[in-house]
Amino acid sequence: MTGTMSKAVAIDIRGVNLSYGATPVLKNVDLSIQPGEFFAFLGPSGCGKTTLLRLIAGFAQAQTGQVLLDGQDVAALPPWKRDVGMVFQSYALWPHMTVAKNVAFGLEERRLPRREIERRVRDALDLVGLSAFADRRPAQLSGGQQQRVAVARTIAIEPKVLLLDEPLSNLDAKMRVSVRRELRTLQRRLGLTTIFVTHDQEEANTICDRMAVMESGIIRQVGTPMELYERPGNLFVAGFLGSANILDGRVAGDVFEVAGGARLPLPEHVKVPLGAKLVFRPQHARLADSGMLRGPIVHREFLGSTVRYGVRLGGAEVLIDAPFQSGDDLRAAGDLVCVALPPERALYLAA
Amino acid sequence: MSDRAAPAPSVRFADTFPSRAPRGGRIPVSGQAVLALAIALFLLVFLVVPVATVAYVAFTEKGTGAPTLVNFLDFARTDLFVRSFWNSLYVSAMTVVWASVLALPLAYLTTRFEFRGAALVQTLGFLPLIMPPFVGAVAMQLLFGRNGTVNLLLEEWFDFKIGLMEGLNGVIFLQAIHYFPFILVNLSAALRNIDRAMEEAAQNLGSHGFRLFRRIALPLAMPGYVAGASLVFVKVFDDVASPLLLNVKEMLAPQAYLRITSIGIDDPMGYVISVVLIVLAVVTMWGSAQVLKGKDYATAQRGGGGLARRRLTRGQSVMAYGVVLLVLALVLAPHLGLVLLSLATVWSFSPLPDDYTLAHYARVLGDSSIYIKNTLLYAGLAAAIDVAIGGAIAYLVLRTRLPGRQMLDWMAGAALAVPGVVLGIGYLRAFYGVTLPGGVPLATLWIMIVLAIAIRRLPYALRAAYAALQQISIALEEAAENLGATKARTVRRVVIPLMTGGLLAGFVTSFATAAVELSAVLMLVQNNSDAPLSYGLYVLMQTPAGRGAGAALGVVAVIIVAVCMGLSQLAADRSQRARGLDI
Amino acid sequence: MVRSIVLALGLVLVAHSASAQMGSLTVVTSFSKDVTDPIRRAFEKSAPGVTLEVQNRNTNAGVKYLEETRANNQVDLFWASAPDAFEVLKAKKLLALYKPKARGIAEKVGSYPVNDKDGFYSGFAASGYGIMWNDRYVKAKKLPTPKEWQDLAQAPYYDHVSISAPSRSGTTHLTIETILQGEGWDKGWRIIKEISGNLHQVTDRSFGVPEAVNSGQVGYGIVIDFFAFSSQGSGFPVKFVYPSVTTLVPANVGIVANAPNRMFAEAFIEFLLSPAGQELLLTPTIRRLPVRPATYEKAPPDYPNPFKDKNLQGLLTFNAELSEKRSEAVDVLFDQLITFQLAPLKAVTKTLHDVEAALAKKDNAQARALAKEARDLVAAMPVTDAQAAAPELRAAFTGGKQKSARQAELEQQWAAFAKEKYAAAQAKADEALKLVR
Repeated sequence: MTGTMSKAVAIDIRGVNLSYGATPVLKNVDLSIQPGEFFAFLGPSGCGKTTLLRLIAGFAQAQTGQVLLDGQDVAALPPWKRDVGMVFQSYALWPHMTVAKNVAFGLEERRLPRREIERRVRDALDLVGLSAFADRRPAQLSGGQQQRVAVARTIAIEPKVLLLDEPLSNLDAKMRVSVRRELRTLQRRLGLTTIFVTHDQEEANTICDRMAVMESGIIRQVGTPMELYERPGNLFVAGFLGSANILDGRVAGDVFEVAGGARLPLPEHVKVPLGAKLVFRPQHARLADSGMLRGPIVHREFLGSTVRYGVRLGGAEVLIDAPFQSGDDLRAAGDLVCVALPPERALYLAA
Repeated sequence: MSDRAAPAPSVRFADTFPSRAPRGGRIPVSGQAVLALAIALFLLVFLVVPVATVAYVAFTEKGTGAPTLVNFLDFARTDLFVRSFWNSLYVSAMTVVWASVLALPLAYLTTRFEFRGAALVQTLGFLPLIMPPFVGAVAMQLLFGRNGTVNLLLEEWFDFKIGLMEGLNGVIFLQAIHYFPFILVNLSAALRNIDRAMEEAAQNLGSHGFRLFRRIALPLAMPGYVAGASLVFVKVFDDVASPLLLNVKEMLAPQAYLRITSIGIDDPMGYVISVVLIVLAVVTMWGSAQVLKGKDYATAQRGGGGLARRRLTRGQSVMAYGVVLLVLALVLAPHLGLVLLSLATVWSFSPLPDDYTLAHYARVLGDSSIYIKNTLLYAGLAAAIDVAIGGAIAYLVLRTRLPGRQMLDWMAGAALAVPGVVLGIGYLRAFYGVTLPGGVPLATLWIMIVLAIAIRRLPYALRAAYAALQQISIALEEAAENLGATKARTVRRVVIPLMTGGLLAGFVTSFATAAVELSAVLMLVQNNSDAPLSYGLYVLMQTPAGRGAGAALGVVAVIIVAVCMGLSQLAADRSQRARGLDI
Repeated sequence: MVRSIVLALGLVLVAHSASAQMGSLTVVTSFSKDVTDPIRRAFEKSAPGVTLEVQNRNTNAGVKYLEETRANNQVDLFWASAPDAFEVLKAKKLLALYKPKARGIAEKVGSYPVNDKDGFYSGFAASGYGIMWNDRYVKAKKLPTPKEWQDLAQAPYYDHVSISAPSRSGTTHLTIETILQGEGWDKGWRIIKEISGNLHQVTDRSFGVPEAVNSGQVGYGIVIDFFAFSSQGSGFPVKFVYPSVTTLVPANVGIVANAPNRMFAEAFIEFLLSPAGQELLLTPTIRRLPVRPATYEKAPPDYPNPFKDKNLQGLLTFNAELSEKRSEAVDVLFDQLITFQLAPLKAVTKTLHDVEAALAKKDNAQARALAKEARDLVAAMPVTDAQAAAPELRAAFTGGKQKSARQAELEQQWAAFAKEKYAAAQAKADEALKLVR
């Protein structure tokens, strides 16, 4: 565990289709993960992210497509020959073994010399700060400690890639923040290609280099957290990452006509896809006294540094964040206001 | 590390099945297939072939041997058989009801509450299953018979009698007492695994008392209950001994037994009934599997806690102990009768024996130790075989996708319904002609007794193995594979250690019931020095002077089996605790 | 673990096979341990180095066992009570010829020849059939003591009698056959059915009857004498009587065809018939009647002596040939007319007892006539004497070529016959009861 490990490997997923019986779970998935990258699969439950992870680990088999680790197709390899470390959501620590035994397991399966095993178990436990707990049973540890044992057990075998299946979901909020920092630090130190499955965008944003947003077995967009936030490629990604206001409408010449009649000029270089809707973030618009988008304030939330107003525009309701400084006058519910949106901030996205 | 992953050529498995659980089977498919084939071969040789050598008679015309189905028509046209069929169905169903009434309070109180002596109650509750044949019947008659203790006293004091041991109701009474442990054991195991939070959530929402039990605990424990209840149903349907000791012959299994043993080995009707019994047992097992489909409430073992027990208030405690003692008194009465009988000089038409003596024990310990030794050996070996095969079948069915794996399950389950006599005769037919070097027929080796008993008790161990494996979260196995353990290594290092408790429970059930197995044994015992205890009992119980000695031997048998059970239980608890598992 | 099991298995197998020593003799017997143990011990003492292996099976199972294993026979002797079982074995060529050399053995016991006329089996003890009862039971319930079979048909015995099914017990089969031969087919069945109307139960084991009487679950049992004698010997408060229509039948021993240890088998037969062997029969737990008249000099005072006692002289001559011809028919008739129709048979019997009691108080000719009709209906038989012994009927049971019907069909016919007759009898009896009430 000295950091001078085998070089990080790339993961390539090509044209994968996977279904359980008649139910398609992964549809035509293509994905390239760079060596040493910390990558996240993000999406709501049931989107196929865990299945994709299990596919890489060898616990699920695709009907078509390839999974390449370091350029080699591993489809024919059983789980135990893949050298892909996985941390399970439930941690799956064996209750009949001590912490040290759990960590030693993979090394023993590799028939390493005893001295070597002992050394690497010690190193792995040191790395997660649990050396003092080597002789405990999993049942005698807290949730966070169990999670760290699970990680130690996985990295002890020095896998080619590290897979983390919602590893933080069984921890409390405070633990989650500190553990994810530890994970990130650890990953940097080991330089391991790592995939992290989560349904929590904050987790994904804070921990990963790049991520794939998935929905119903389809990868909707891949990019860095900032790219995806700033330039979502479709309505799903826009809505799933952070708050977004979405308004129906249609293109009429050089303007976008919002349902309800308001017309927004389209900047010249903007190409509006077919069936697109108008999307903007609450902090990108402001309340004004005059403008095209007009409606009553229906609610107001004081958030400290900002005030969030809900404004009804036609049939839809949009959120507007206004920065707050002491002394500012707040608008009241019922006030008729206009929403001012700089055209360059407006996004036109299809589903 | 990266140098070790030279990909081996492998068989690729068509992969279209939905579930996540029964997966794998790619590389070691050959190993699994070999195992499955070996088990299939074992079942074929020691179950299917012997039974087939006998059962084909059901499909032939008597005398000519020409194939025909007319015998089944005869079955449907014979009032006696039709009546017997309905009687059997009625008795089996009612037995399940009454056995549930006995088992529910015991199981619930000892698993979900802080109940002192819970382990003792569980152990005692298992004893009724170990009722030695013949003597048990005599003891029951002396207690509950029409001139037994209960009725003689009732008549003297209140001038009335109750027909506890008369007719179909008598059979139900006996069977409910005898077989209720199956429900107790299965239901207790299921109740024990319910997370305390489930009940707490219900209490939090205003549920309590019986409603809490009915709406939360019972539904969650339903898989265990159905497993136990279906076992009871099938066992009662196929049981010969209890109806016959009450002289109830108009039930299906006794009809089969009587026909095969008295009319003759060539008479098709006995085998027609046997075929009906086997089909009904398989259908029942299949039906219970259907009921349980999608109701797998197994929880992953993670961390401790969550299984804490509730406290009883003072009043509740008094009531609870009252109920438990009442049930125990009822179900252990036969054993009490047995003890009395073993100590009695003469016990005839009186509430209690005339006088007491230890002479019977002296006689039994003097010349029956060979029976005891044989019994321990046979039942131990048979139970070991059962656990090995049952565990393997459970693994193949639940964890692999081998085509036809379900067949193994059905075959082993059907063993439940094969009447012991049929199996015994089948063994003679199939193996007597096969001789070992030296001219000794294969069928005369005592190991054949072991195999016959093992086959008969396999379903018990199989059920226990299923339950144990279902309790293990599949993630625990995946984690091992992920870290480089092959399927076989995973089984050895993770699955088997975690199944130990459940497998041991299967071992105990198989062992305890095998120790008092009689029907197949009677046919196969070749000489006295190879005979197990049940045969010794049979021999003793054919004579007036042997009654007390038989009872003494019965008591010894029960004690030995109970001690073995207790020891293995203790060992299991200790090893479970040492492994940090909840028990 | 697997390794140690295999190892243990191997060790045990070796240990077991090592126990076969210089000479051993295997006997299949229906006799209980109480009988076989003292005889085995004495025999082994008289023939040092020879071990007697006893396989205990009931008579039918024993016969079946010999049939199933004849291809590779390992049994030397068959040793049991029922002569008809030996007839079956003889017919199937499962017995070997042997004429005992022992002297001083009676030619006949009662009126039954001791040895098989063809020399395939030999009698070594006699037994007779009769009625045993539990004295405490009878006294507590103020019941009478029986002397003849017909006594058991009387009202006070209702629901107090037990018998084992003749299809299940060789000895009961002989009892039934004895009554049928002594009283004739129709009258015999009438008596049997009248007694059966008073039955509490029909057991499926011979020993079930003495067991029930010994425990006091029933008052009376129809049994072979030694069950009663050995129960008395064990201290149970039971008594026994031989009715006048009974027969003494020898219990037999025969050498199995292709016996592996023929020499020892012959020695065993000679031992059984020797003065020492015969004396063993007087042991309280055995209590069989020796076939060597001289042995009775050593018997206790009240021991029955078929060669001297008046009531055991001039008994019925049992016709074994006739018995053998119709043995299946008699068994199946008993089962279908009585065992499996016991509830309706008991019901009509009870009503008839009530009618009888009422008539005793106040006579009524019409009721008497109805009751007689009812009795005749109960007594009616679906087959005659000749039919029962006819080869066509037999073929239905044994699967012969010229069968008239399949066994299951016959059974259903007979059961339906009995059901209908008993229902009709019940109607008549009810009518009679109405008249006398």
